[in-house]
Amino acid sequence: MIRAYHVTKRYGDVHALKDVTLKLGKGEFCYVTGPSGAGKTTMLKMLYGSVQPTEGKLLVGGVDVSRLSRRRLPYLRRNIGIVFQDFKLIPTRTVGENVGLALEVLGSSREIIDRRVNAVLNIVGLPGRGSEYPPTLSGGEQQRVAVARAIVNDPSILLADEPTGNLDGAMAIEVMEILRAINLRGTTVMVATHDTGLMNRFPFRKLRFEAGRLVES
Amino acid sequence: MPQRLQHVMRRAFRSLWENAYLNSVSSGVIASTILLFGVYLSVQFNLNNMVDTWDRDVHVSAYFHPDVPEQRRFDVRDQIAKRDDVSKVRYVSSDNANRWMQERMPAMEGILDELGSDTLPSSLEISLTASAAKPGTIDDFARTLSVTDFSDVDYGQEWIEKFEGFLSLLKLLGAIMGSLILIAALFLVMNTVHLVVYNRKEELEIQKLVGATDGYITAPFLVEGLIQGLIGSILALIGLAAVHKLLVARLKDSFELAVSADLHFLPNSYVAILFIAGTVLGVSAAFFAVQRFLSKVN
Repeated sequence: MIRAYHVTKRYGDVHALKDVTLKLGKGEFCYVTGPSGAGKTTMLKMLYGSVQPTEGKLLVGGVDVSRLSRRRLPYLRRNIGIVFQDFKLIPTRTVGENVGLALEVLGSSREIIDRRVNAVLNIVGLPGRGSEYPPTLSGGEQQRVAVARAIVNDPSILLADEPTGNLDGAMAIEVMEILRAINLRGTTVMVATHDTGLMNRFPFRKLRFEAGRLVES
Repeated sequence: MPQRLQHVMRRAFRSLWENAYLNSVSSGVIASTILLFGVYLSVQFNLNNMVDTWDRDVHVSAYFHPDVPEQRRFDVRDQIAKRDDVSKVRYVSSDNANRWMQERMPAMEGILDELGSDTLPSSLEISLTASAAKPGTIDDFARTLSVTDFSDVDYGQEWIEKFEGFLSLLKLLGAIMGSLILIAALFLVMNTVHLVVYNRKEELEIQKLVGATDGYITAPFLVEGLIQGLIGSILALIGLAAVHKLLVARLKDSFELAVSADLHFLPNSYVAILFIAGTVLGVSAAFFAVQRFLSKVN
């Protein structure tokens, strides 16, 4: 599902990633871990096309991200769900509207959007909460809304950048359990985190980065 | 209506409502610009009309040599009357001209008497057809008149030509000013729309992350720009009609000038130009503002 061949990313003279080669199969669950500044976020950003490699080749779902044009980028992202540490929800839109956004950009009908939104809100444990606004929800609930938005169009890959970073222990476990459940449905899940407690509780493959190099795979 | 179009319209009207203040400012800027542009077009249109009218009123006065016999004068008159470029010819005898002068300038009566009854030469007052009464052609016409019959040929065209020259300069200045105003307005509206875009920065970034194309993000802003342009144009035209009405009324009251009756409101073609200019301004400002934003977001 994801293949990187000697991927390097430089910002001027600074190496964010150095000669990274890795392979991730369909339906795998893995952590991207390492200290701050190790290149975890850069790796994820490359996977969803926000930054492009300076050198090397990166394939995501068969698409060569390293050569992807700006025009083709949206079509890659429709196959990738993304979850952020700060949730990135629109505070003036309801939970339902936030979740439905990923379907709206596809031009789905209102009926399909409503049906899918209700279904994923059930999956993340927020049934019937579609009409509420994000600021009225707890941090854990907001992150669950973000996860619901990421999976509403059934992507084959789910990328989560420090999804539990802003949550306390119990809420973090809830979110991880949801991510695990999504993974069990066949979605490839990649979680960037440096929370060792969480990684021990949910033991999966680790891609460990240090100073931009992949040191453990 | 296709789903995508429905989403676009819903998002556009929602944004118009949620950013009512900034959208009103945009419409106001467009209205002011189009009003200025409309005033400029009105001035041009009415000045052109005036010049056209004066052109039509132009006639040639051809003064006979004193030694041309009267019969010859009538023959010349009849020959000229037959020409295609002439609509009317009137013979004014020396006596009639003197009488006319005395009637209009009674104070000069003594002087005119002393100078004799043939002070003013007999002449032909020639009115030209509309196509001939144009700068250039009237000059050519005057040159065709026989120098053996006439001592002098006079036509009030020179100052009209000067006025037309002045009008051309005014048009050039107006075009430069108009362009500058439109460009300034484009930047003003663009920056106002940019504020709306930045107000929704987070939302647009999220849309990009979930796979929205640039077109999907831009479309509602274009609809907003179109609506702002339409509202701005309508306001400007209402303002222009009010200014026109006020001006005509003032001229009538203050000066009782016939010129007030000659002040016309812009014809439909000009109104359409203003309308199109307003909407193009709104849409293009929105387009450039969103593109500027999108170029910075990945």
